[in-house]
Amino acid sequence: MSDIKNAGKYYYHYLHRYWKGFLVTAILIGISTWCVVVAPTYLGRAITELTSYLQAWGNPATRQAASLAKFHHTLIVYLLLYFGDASTLFVASWILARITAFSTGTMRIGLFRKMQRMKVQYFDAHSDGDILARYTSDLDNIFNALNQALIDIFLAVAQLIGILIMMFDQNATMGWVTIASTPVALGVAAFVMQKASVAVNQQQQAIGAMNGYINEQVTGQKVIITNGLQQDSANGFRPFNQAVQKAAVRGQIWSGVLMPLMSGMSLLNTAIVIFFGSWLALNGQMATGAALALVVVFVNYAQQYYQPLTTLTSLYGMIQLAITGARRVDEVRTQPDEQDSGTEVLTGLNTAVKIADVRFSYLPGKEILHGVTIDVAKGEMVALVGPTGSGKTTVMNLLNRFYDVDSGAITVDGQDIRRFTLASLRDTVGIVLQEPQLFSGTIAENIAFGDPTAELDRVKAAAKQANLDDFIQSLPEGYDTRVSDEQSVFSAGQKQLMSIARTILTDPRLLILDEATSNVDTVTEAKIQAAMDNVIAGRTSFVIAHRLKTILNADKIVVLKDGAIIEQGTHDELVAQGGFYAELYHNQMVFE
Amino acid sequence: MRVLIPYIKRYKWDAIWATVSIVFQVFATLWQPRMLQTVMEAIMKQDKATVFNYGIGLILLAVVGIIAGIINTVYSARLALHVATDLRADLYDHIQSFAYADIEDFSASNLVVRMTNDVNQVQQVVMAAFQQVTRIPLVFAGALALALTTMPEQWWVIAVMMVIIVGVGLVTFKTMSKYFAQTQQDIEDVNTLARENLMGIRVVKSFVQEQAQITGFAKTSDRLRDVTAKIGELFAVLMPAFFLTANIAVVVSVYIVGQNVTAHPTYLAAISSFTSYLMQILFAVINASFMMTFASRAFISMGRIREVLDHKPSMHFTTAGPATVPGDITFEHVTFTYPGDKQPTLQDVSFTAPAGSMIGIVGATGSGKTTLAQLIARLFDPDSGRVLIGGVDVRELPEATIRNAVAYVLQRATLFSGTIAQNLLQVQPAATPATMARAAEIAQAAEFIERLPETYDAPVEERSANFSGGQKQRLAITRGVIADPEILILDDATSALDARSEKLVQEALDRELTRTTTVVIAEKIASIIRADQILVMDGGRLVATGTHKQLVQSSAIYQEIYATQKAKEGGVANV
Repeated sequence: MSDIKNAGKYYYHYLHRYWKGFLVTAILIGISTWCVVVAPTYLGRAITELTSYLQAWGNPATRQAASLAKFHHTLIVYLLLYFGDASTLFVASWILARITAFSTGTMRIGLFRKMQRMKVQYFDAHSDGDILARYTSDLDNIFNALNQALIDIFLAVAQLIGILIMMFDQNATMGWVTIASTPVALGVAAFVMQKASVAVNQQQQAIGAMNGYINEQVTGQKVIITNGLQQDSANGFRPFNQAVQKAAVRGQIWSGVLMPLMSGMSLLNTAIVIFFGSWLALNGQMATGAALALVVVFVNYAQQYYQPLTTLTSLYGMIQLAITGARRVDEVRTQPDEQDSGTEVLTGLNTAVKIADVRFSYLPGKEILHGVTIDVAKGEMVALVGPTGSGKTTVMNLLNRFYDVDSGAITVDGQDIRRFTLASLRDTVGIVLQEPQLFSGTIAENIAFGDPTAELDRVKAAAKQANLDDFIQSLPEGYDTRVSDEQSVFSAGQKQLMSIARTILTDPRLLILDEATSNVDTVTEAKIQAAMDNVIAGRTSFVIAHRLKTILNADKIVVLKDGAIIEQGTHDELVAQGGFYAELYHNQMVFE
Repeated sequence: MRVLIPYIKRYKWDAIWATVSIVFQVFATLWQPRMLQTVMEAIMKQDKATVFNYGIGLILLAVVGIIAGIINTVYSARLALHVATDLRADLYDHIQSFAYADIEDFSASNLVVRMTNDVNQVQQVVMAAFQQVTRIPLVFAGALALALTTMPEQWWVIAVMMVIIVGVGLVTFKTMSKYFAQTQQDIEDVNTLARENLMGIRVVKSFVQEQAQITGFAKTSDRLRDVTAKIGELFAVLMPAFFLTANIAVVVSVYIVGQNVTAHPTYLAAISSFTSYLMQILFAVINASFMMTFASRAFISMGRIREVLDHKPSMHFTTAGPATVPGDITFEHVTFTYPGDKQPTLQDVSFTAPAGSMIGIVGATGSGKTTLAQLIARLFDPDSGRVLIGGVDVRELPEATIRNAVAYVLQRATLFSGTIAQNLLQVQPAATPATMARAAEIAQAAEFIERLPETYDAPVEERSANFSGGQKQRLAITRGVIADPEILILDDATSALDARSEKLVQEALDRELTRTTTVVIAEKIASIIRADQILVMDGGRLVATGTHKQLVQSSAIYQEIYATQKAKEGGVANV
């Protein structure tokens, strides 16, 4: 139920501005339905006119005066009614199509805009696939429902109302007979849909398990081949496949049987109407002619009455998906934004950066940093070293305010960084991330990512400092080569260089370098090292190091373990101490 | 379609029942007006008995319709699911016959999509085909025949109506298919941007580029919006146009009846049935065109499935040949090019490694280290030259012999979900707890496995997410050594291990697997410093071989690699 409420809120938010369009559509569909319901009576009238013409023509006395004018007149009205139907329906569908396209467009951009404003925490707590599914699957379901279901619902409801009015206007008894089976039909439909949703759920579970197996095995196919396990793998697949077949047969039967059942119910209802109508004709006080007409008219109504019912039940699944989709997108829409309460503008770094007794936890009760204090004077390079999970990367998250400290403070020139605007803080702090991200566009655009207005000269200068210019020049299209994160001309090491070039271009005062752990060979590593030296020169920097070779010259090395500082000093001091750092160093290097 | 026919034939009784029941269903729908006719006549004659009998008959007919509908659904679903299940099973079996090159040809993720999404498409279309497709031509043919028998002179009205409808349909669908292709492209662009921004959210935020990204995304999204609006507008024209055409046809035929009413007065009574047949023809045509667009998607999927099923495995193994071979390795002038590449990845590589020795391979990324190792395990065949194990060309060895003789441990340690023991038993079904413990001991995995509450029966989650990188690699090495292979290839398989554990692994291999030839590919010189023979690769060529001591003297490339990693005891080596 809360699903429906949230979905309703979501749709209201994005659709209420189109209320005029919806109003016009509703009126037009009303007119169109009126035309469709009224038109058949003109066909009947045309036949009556024709009959009287035939009678007049048949009588020699009136043959001269017999005229088809009235017949033609009726036909013209009939034709006009259908023109009216077609044109109103066209305008209504046209309006709805545009509303659908524009509103889903706004939803898509709204989702993206929200994504840019949310806290980093949300992205760390949710899997990429789950968030991405909101674009690929949920928005898609919403679009499909708006695109197909909306007009059908409008039409079905109008048709239902129109037919009910016509029926009860003509003959109330027969009207009641026609709608008598509705509760049964809806009950059957509800029962089938309920069964279907259970069966489809089981089907999806079985499919999920099977897809999991396929995914794991086929992506691990190389391991299967090298170990000669092909037969094992195929044998293991069989039970999953069989389970899917068993569950899916049930799922497909229950969900597939709804339509034939509803059209069967329509057939049955028509039979009942005929049966009861003829009984009324024979036992009532009606003239035979009138009775006949009544039966014919109500057979028509009975058939038309079930059409919107069938439409509405068949749309149920689509609407269900659209409700779930809206609920899931709305979940993102209502996430808190990143707090940007700072008012002062940070313009540079004059004396020092201090991390003072900082405590931090991602999850309440699970503290990651237990009172960490690091002082860095302007122009110094500090290296953070420690095993996985020691809290090195967390320090980076805090410096850039991706997260805020629980207690303690981080200060720049003595001022708490929470006093500055996020934009000015992040302009001052530059980050080279461990896993560089490329964006669809040209190489030049990617290097100028932090300052899209940068001229090509500046882009080239940055690439040169990052040791990447030669490679880019060697590409046929040079800096205009199009790249994306998936299809890229770059190796892992070159991507790292791209990321360094990007940071050099924005010329940040404070630098955070998260060194790549990905396997680049030692020669490329030397290139990256040279580029890093270029970017570090003259700046205050934090380097999160995995290979100690890169930090031998740091002004200060801080060894973190389990969220606390265990050693601190220069390389030589720490090696002399013979502690954790010294052991790490001995393990990584080859000694002669 | 060709792919499906043999599968449908296998379940011909399901197909027959589905088709027969549809005939009953259509019959019930089309016969009702006929019975109504009789009832009306009976009312005119005040014949209560006939009215009652036919009334019961009508209800029975409706019940037949319902039952036929249910039967049709049941058999269509059974048929569709049987076909899909068999198709998936065959695909799976066929993929298992693929060699390394075939997997790379398609890419693993692509194969997964074909087995899941594409088969699902086909399943849906088979189901729809047996629920709907047989029905459309039946209704169409029935309505057309009835319309023609009602007013034979007016055949041309039907013909003109159909020509206009089909013509308008074809023209719009042609424009639309252009827009559909455009939509597909725009959707992909939107998703790519969303994915990139999602994964790079820290980059965007740290460069304060949120607004620029939103502007860029809005531009792409607006493109998609405009093209979907165009499609919607076309559809908005299409449906009313169809109905208007049909109603104009009705008016024309009524007008003609009117003009000739003195000659054919009986046609007056036929007007209402004729118009309802015209409508049924219209619906049949519309439904058919919808089925066509639906089916065209499935045809694409079927094509993609057939591509996999028709793909001949690129490698064949002999069945005759020795069951075991000793572990010495020889390369004779081996040159190898990856399918689709222009430059060879290996050029004229020759070396010999005696059984029981340790070989190290070093070189920059892309120098051909992994490719060389893959040729030992015959994952690819060389363009020219020969690879020999135990003195026999690998192409003359049965697959089982090679797989038993060569254990290949990849850098990206992949374990399958299940338990540790299951992963080990897969490669060595005869393994006892003692053999498992010994293998784990060698791989330095025993210490953490034995600390787990279920030890060897501890679960391995999907993507082995419950183990750290180093643990995964040690488990993979355990699996590599459990069957006592003649040749053990460690392809950067110890990259996540610390130097001490790595050294312990190598010492244990030396001690325990004395007749095993070990091939170690590594970035770290420390990993291969003890090798009997080190192969230095550069640009696909074997540029130097020798022990560490020899190479430090003789090979410039080896020196360059070594320079970045060496240090002097007690101080910093500034190179």
